[in-house]
Formats: sequence, structure tokens, C-alpha cells
Amino acid sequence: MLSFDPFELNHPVQQFINGLALGSIYALIALGYTMVYGVLRFINFAHADVLMLGAYAAAFVAPVLAGFLGGPSLLLLFATVLVAAVVCAGIGMLIEALAYRPLRARPKLTVLITAIGVSLFIEFTAQHPAVFGAKTRPFPQLLPAGNLEFAGATLSRVDLLIPVVTVLLLAGLWVLVQRTRMGMAMRAVSFNQNAASLMGVNNNRIISFTFGLGSALAAVAGVLYSVRSSGIDPLMGIRPGLIAFSAAVVGGIGDLGGAVLGGLLLGMLETYAGGVEGLSNYRDAISFGMLVVILLFRPAGLLGRAQVEKV
Amino acid sequence: MSAAAQNSGGGTVLELERVTIRFGGLTAVSEVDLAVGEGELVGLIGPNGAGKTTVFNLVTGVYQPTEGRISFDRKPHGRLRPHDLTRRGIARTFQNIRLFGSMSVFDNVRVAMQLHRRFGFGEALWRGRLAAKAEGDVAGRVMELLEIFNLGRVRDELATSLPYGDQRRLEIVRALATRPRLLLLDEPAAGMNPTEKAALAQLIVEVQQRFGISVLLVEHDMRLVMSVCQRIAVLEYGRKIAEGTPQQIQKNPQVIAAYLGKEASDA
Amino acid sequence: MEKLMNNGGSNGAKRWLLLGLVLVAVVSAFSGMINRYYLGVLVEAGVNVTLAVSLNLINGYTGQFSLGHGGFMAVGAYLAAKLTLLFGPALPPALQPVLFAGALLCGGMGAALAGLLVGVPSLRLRGDYLAVVTLAFGEIIRVVFQNSPAFGAATGLSGIAPWTNFFWSWSVALVTVYVVLALVHSTYGRGFLAVNDDEIAASAMGINPVRYKVTAFVVGAFFAGVAGGLFAHLKRAINPEGFNFMRSIDVVVMVILGGMGNTAGVVVAAVLLTLLPELLRGFSEYRMIVYSLLIITLMLLRPQGLFGRSSKGGRL
Repeated sequence: MLSFDPFELNHPVQQFINGLALGSIYALIALGYTMVYGVLRFINFAHADVLMLGAYAAAFVAPVLAGFLGGPSLLLLFATVLVAAVVCAGIGMLIEALAYRPLRARPKLTVLITAIGVSLFIEFTAQHPAVFGAKTRPFPQLLPAGNLEFAGATLSRVDLLIPVVTVLLLAGLWVLVQRTRMGMAMRAVSFNQNAASLMGVNNNRIISFTFGLGSALAAVAGVLYSVRSSGIDPLMGIRPGLIAFSAAVVGGIGDLGGAVLGGLLLGMLETYAGGVEGLSNYRDAISFGMLVVILLFRPAGLLGRAQVEKV
Repeated sequence: MSAAAQNSGGGTVLELERVTIRFGGLTAVSEVDLAVGEGELVGLIGPNGAGKTTVFNLVTGVYQPTEGRISFDRKPHGRLRPHDLTRRGIARTFQNIRLFGSMSVFDNVRVAMQLHRRFGFGEALWRGRLAAKAEGDVAGRVMELLEIFNLGRVRDELATSLPYGDQRRLEIVRALATRPRLLLLDEPAAGMNPTEKAALAQLIVEVQQRFGISVLLVEHDMRLVMSVCQRIAVLEYGRKIAEGTPQQIQKNPQVIAAYLGKEASDA
Repeated sequence: MEKLMNNGGSNGAKRWLLLGLVLVAVVSAFSGMINRYYLGVLVEAGVNVTLAVSLNLINGYTGQFSLGHGGFMAVGAYLAAKLTLLFGPALPPALQPVLFAGALLCGGMGAALAGLLVGVPSLRLRGDYLAVVTLAFGEIIRVVFQNSPAFGAATGLSGIAPWTNFFWSWSVALVTVYVVLALVHSTYGRGFLAVNDDEIAASAMGINPVRYKVTAFVVGAFFAGVAGGLFAHLKRAINPEGFNFMRSIDVVVMVILGGMGNTAGVVVAAVLLTLLPELLRGFSEYRMIVYSLLIITLMLLRPQGLFGRSSKGGRL
């Protein structure tokens, strides 16, 4: 488990910003889970590993980019994120084409198990000494060091930046989904694949695009997550992946707004629980406990609509 | 109370009083009164989407009415769940056949028998003499039922591998295995050819007499409904627009306008 | 095996169980002749058979999708280990098997209780959502042990007596197989399959789906707990990380490989998957990569499992 809080966490403003930052990261990851669920109705377990690959891509490319752009700066961060996003979009689409597309007509359980297999394959391959190796390695510095002082609170630049980046990405995603032909096609496929294909939508293209988009968001989240943490390793995606996936379910899986809501909720909860003496060790249990409680009262998540089986 | 109880002479088995159900803004069934008497064979007809299957789902506890009251044997349904109502004596078949696909013909019926079994978890594990005897009894009764419906020879076939007509009959056998007092048949003749339909009509009457139960029948095939039912209720847009003997229904101008006119000329 | 349970439903099956137990005892008596290393693998295979066959009741026969078997196993492992650690040293050797049996039972019962808790959400949740909740429960159980000083917190428990041998491991496996088969082949137990096939039709037949699902969770969790106890007394040291989500996945893969709802297949798959890492020992760097590729290939080529009869089990 990673602890990445170099300073005291008790100031309310600080805690809020921290929670917001962590929640934003979870939201970005949760969006990927939820979008894939929307079009294919299965939980893409490999999503968390795409996030890890994004972090590694960033770690490799950042020093090269730094050579062109000078030292740590906002520009370097954005350039690195961009490259990682493009790489991961490609990886996501590749995974979909190789592992999931051949299973399109199969039971969802088959696809789910395949996803678990893909996830294990990425994790173990990455741990192989000839690839990344199992050890934790440092993540390059992308932003200038130093924190901002505000009303007695010490705020890290990253934590302030993350919510801003997230809001911008969400705005872009909203425009894409609601205002473009591609977005309309995505919604159509998510609503009813057969009907969509009868209407002339190329389902495979849309599904592939959705994977690319979700994976790019995971890469962004992976880089931001790594900037906040002390280092990266091949299994780094598992924990944020599980939490973000819970977030997607809490919000109502398949619902984009729900993913954001769930992510923020779990991020805040984790941060606040972490600040309380005696609770901090239980923060994962608290997140999962909340998942259970919410599902008991709202079986389809906060914003999800229960599907009634026709008799 | 409606005409039902008076007609049948015996007591009322099932009674719906001003039953309404809404799904969001859609009123699927609206203020329907309906009664089925003891040993009576009642038909429920109406155009597609009139709410016939919804009535079945209300009677079997799959849905809860928004307003109104349903009672079986004079006891109100309350919020009883489907399996509780089956225990009370309501059994059904489904419009889209819902046999247990992983099981044999024999096991499909055996599963329905477990409602009245005298043994459970413990006996299943211990497999003592009593359990063996009970299992033997169950097997005997399953075969008895299957033989009545001429399905004994296919006992070990996978239920879903049977021809369509046999699957429909197996659903009826399975429902009967729960020892119902009221049997709901949801379009049992769907997809059958005329010969099969004729056989089915005979079968329904036989079942009703042999087992002494009441039957509520939803069916599109007018000839079938008219030939077997003692009384018919007609639904349109979730409302009951007419009720009476087959002769009365055939002549009812409202029914003809809504439904029969077109169907009858097709048939 | 399936035929056996069907015939008459009388003492036949019980006789086979007894015969099996005797056979296990005989093999166990001569186990000194087996290479220690291979013997260890065989004992572990028995534990995995118990895990997989019990999960098969939940995931295969009843059609729920549990990702919480690792959690149930943890409960059993910790409870049993704690008990033998507490009372073992003071006991004369002759009474040790009694203590061990008692500890395993307690572990199983603790896990069954956890199974009851996990089963209750199945009142309202289906498919993916239930799977997520079982996963969450499993993780919660792990975090709780991780933070309990009484159970060694993050370091776990060590110095556990090495009592799990061939006899214990395989007789528990036999009993598990018997219980699951006896259940699902009885008239009562056909209800599990009915709930799997079609919940709505099942309830129309008077079957209470919730009761069956909860029962499956409780029985499955019980044996997972016993298997956990065996595991603890085989490895002699346990820690929370050993019961993470990956452990649950391992068991799920055994069930899928064997074929959902096919006990014989699941037994074979559990044994095969225990042996596989040992066979790949020469390439230890690659063995987990091979394992994951095996899962993917299997799903692409034979999703019903190696021994599955049909492509059933489409439900999540």
C-alpha cells in the first residue's frame, strides 16, 4: 500500500483538496469501467492494469520529453500525460480486438473470466525481470517541487491541479457523448446493440473507440496517481482499480455521472477516514463497506436504474 | 361480488377487486374486477398489450397491485411472494416457455414436487431409509403425472430438447405437480398447429375435471377459448370491457369492435 | 459419479463414501513411502478440491457469482489456527486429532456465518452486483484480520502445528464431494439448479430462491472455512495477503476449468491446477504468465470448461 502524504493531513482545506484530488482520480478510472460496461455489459478487470501501463509509459517517456521541454513544468506534465494516454488508448483497443472481440456472442461470464486472464497476463508479464521487474521504481518528477500555502494549509500543486484537469476532461467527455455523432453512436450501442447495428452503426468500431477512450482516461489517472505517490510497480493498479470499480458500481454502473459521483464519494471517504486516528488502517474496509450498504438500499447504485425482467 | 360465484355454485377461489397497476406513468391494468369460482374454467382474452399477462403476474405475486385487492380462498394476497402463493395453491405456466433448461423432463416435474416434500437438507445428506422412501414416492408420483400426459417415454430427455407442443404440455404437468387449486395458463396454444390445439383443448378440460381445479386461461385462439371456457372476461387497454358466457361475448358489440371482429374473420 | 448419486438415493452413495475414506486412510498409512515433496503437493491438491467443489455449489449449481471464497477461507484458517495455537501445546498428543477436528469445524462454522452475511444481499442483488458485493466482503474480512492484533495483524500467525496430512486433506475433500452431490441430486437440492436455470419459474414452483441462494452460500462457505483450516495447518504460517482477491480468482478458475456445475470435472481441474505450477517449476519466471495465457486460451477455445457438458453457466 502506498502512503503519499508528506505532510499533516488535519487541516480541513487540505483534507478537502486531498479528497477531491483522490476522488477525481478514482472518477477518471471509474469512467473507464462504466463506459465499457455500458457497451459490453461486463467488468473489464484489465482496466486497472492499463492504468499501470500508463504510469510506466509516462515514466519512460518523461525523461525524453524533459530533454526537449526543460525541467519539471506544467507543460512537461501535459505532454507526458498526452503520450501515456495515446499509448494506453492503443493498448486498450488492442486488448479489445484480441481478447474480447472473438467472444462477442459468448456468455458474459466467459468474457469476465477472459478479462481476469488478461489482467493476470499483463501483471505477470510486467513483473518479469526482462520487462519492468517486480520492484518499485521511482516516478520521475513532472511538476516543480514546492507547495502552496493557503490560509494556513499546505496544498500540493498536484492536488490542486488534479480536480481542474478532471473537470476539463469531464467537460470534454460530456461534449463528446452528448454532442457528437460518435457519442450518439456510443449511446445507441449502449442502449441496444442490435438496434444500433440495424441503424447502420458499426458496433465494433464504437466498442473499440470506447475502449480507447476509457483506457486513455485510465492512463491520465495513472500518471496523476503516480505523481502523488512515491513510486510505481506492476501491481500498482490493483488497489485504485478495485476502489474505482466499486465507485462505478456505487454510482450505478453504466452511468457516466454515477461513476464521477461514486469516485468523488469514495475518494473523500478514504481521505477523511485516513485522517481519523484508528480508522486509517480500515480505509479499504470502509470503502467496501459503503459499497455493500449502498447496494443494499439501492441495488442498482445511486444513479442506476434497476432492470426489471419481463415475465 | 361478480357473476362468477353465483354461476359456479361453489365458493369463489380467486377474486380481484378493482385491481390497478401502474408502471411509472403507464396504467397497465385499471380497476379490474374478476372472480374465478371453484372448479370453474374462465377465459381471459383481449388484444395484444391489453394487460392479460400482467393480470397473471399480479395474481401470482410477481407484481404488487398499485391499488385494489386480490384474494385467494378469501385470504388477501397482501405482499406474499410468488413462492408463498404457489404454496397456497396457485400454479402457472408461462407465455414464453420457462422450463428448467439444464434438467431432464423428469427433474422438471420433480423440482415442482419439492414444495410438498417432507424432508429437506438433513435427509438429503443422510440418505437414510426414510429419505429413500420419500424420494421413491416422489419419483412414483412424477412418473404417474408424466404418464397421464404421455410424457413418460421421454423422462430422461433434456426438457428443452422436446418438441414445442410437448414443452407446453410439460409446463402444465410441472404446474400440476405443485398440487394447485387454481391453474393459470398463459397462451398454452401459442405456436401449436390445429391438431395440437384440438388435443390441448381436450387436455385442459380433462385436467380441470380430473384434478378438480379451477383454471384461468389466457389465449389468443378464439375457437379454443370459446370451446373450453364456461365464462370469458375481455380486457382492452387494461380495462375489463365485458364478461359473460362465450355466446354473450361473441355477440357483445363492444368486444366485436375492440377485438373479435377482426380476429373472428381471420379465424 | 453422477450416476452413483442418482441410483435409488439410498445407502449406495454413503457406502462409496465410507469406502473412499478407508482408501484414503490406507494410502495415508503408506504415505511415508511417497517423496515428501510430492506428498505435499498431493495434500494441497486435496485442499484445493474442497475449495473448488464447495465454490461450485455456489457458482456452478446455484448460478451465483461469488468472488469471496478467499475471504471465507481466511475466516476458517485464522479461527482454526488460533484455536490450535491456544490449546495445542497443553494437550497430550493423543488428543491432538480431536482438537484439530474441533478447530476445523469451528473454522468452518465461522466461515458459514460469514457466508450467511454475504448471502443475505442476494435477497436483492443479482449478477454483477452480487459478485461485487462478495468481492467487497472478502476484502473487508481480509482488512479486519490485517488490523487485529489477536490474529497477528499484518504479519499473521506462524508456528502453526503441521497437522494437515494426506488423510485429513483428502477425507475432507471426499466429504465435500459427497455433501455437494448428495444435495444437488436430491429432490430438495434440484431447487439449487432450478434457481440457476430460471429464478422466476422456480419461484412459480414454490421454491424460495433466496433461501436456496443463502443455503448455497452457507454450505459453500463452511467447506471453504474447513479448507482454510487445513491450509493453515499445512503451510504452518498464514497472513492476510495470502487470502486476497487473487486467491478467490484461483478457485473460480478451477471451477470454470472443470465446468460449472460438473463436480467430477471440478475435482480434476483442482488437481490439475495444483500440479501445473509444479510442472512448470523449471520455468518459474514464466509459470504465472503461462497460467494466465491458459485462462485466456481456455475461454477462447472451450468456455464450458475442459469437462463441461454444455455451454451452460452463461449467467453471471
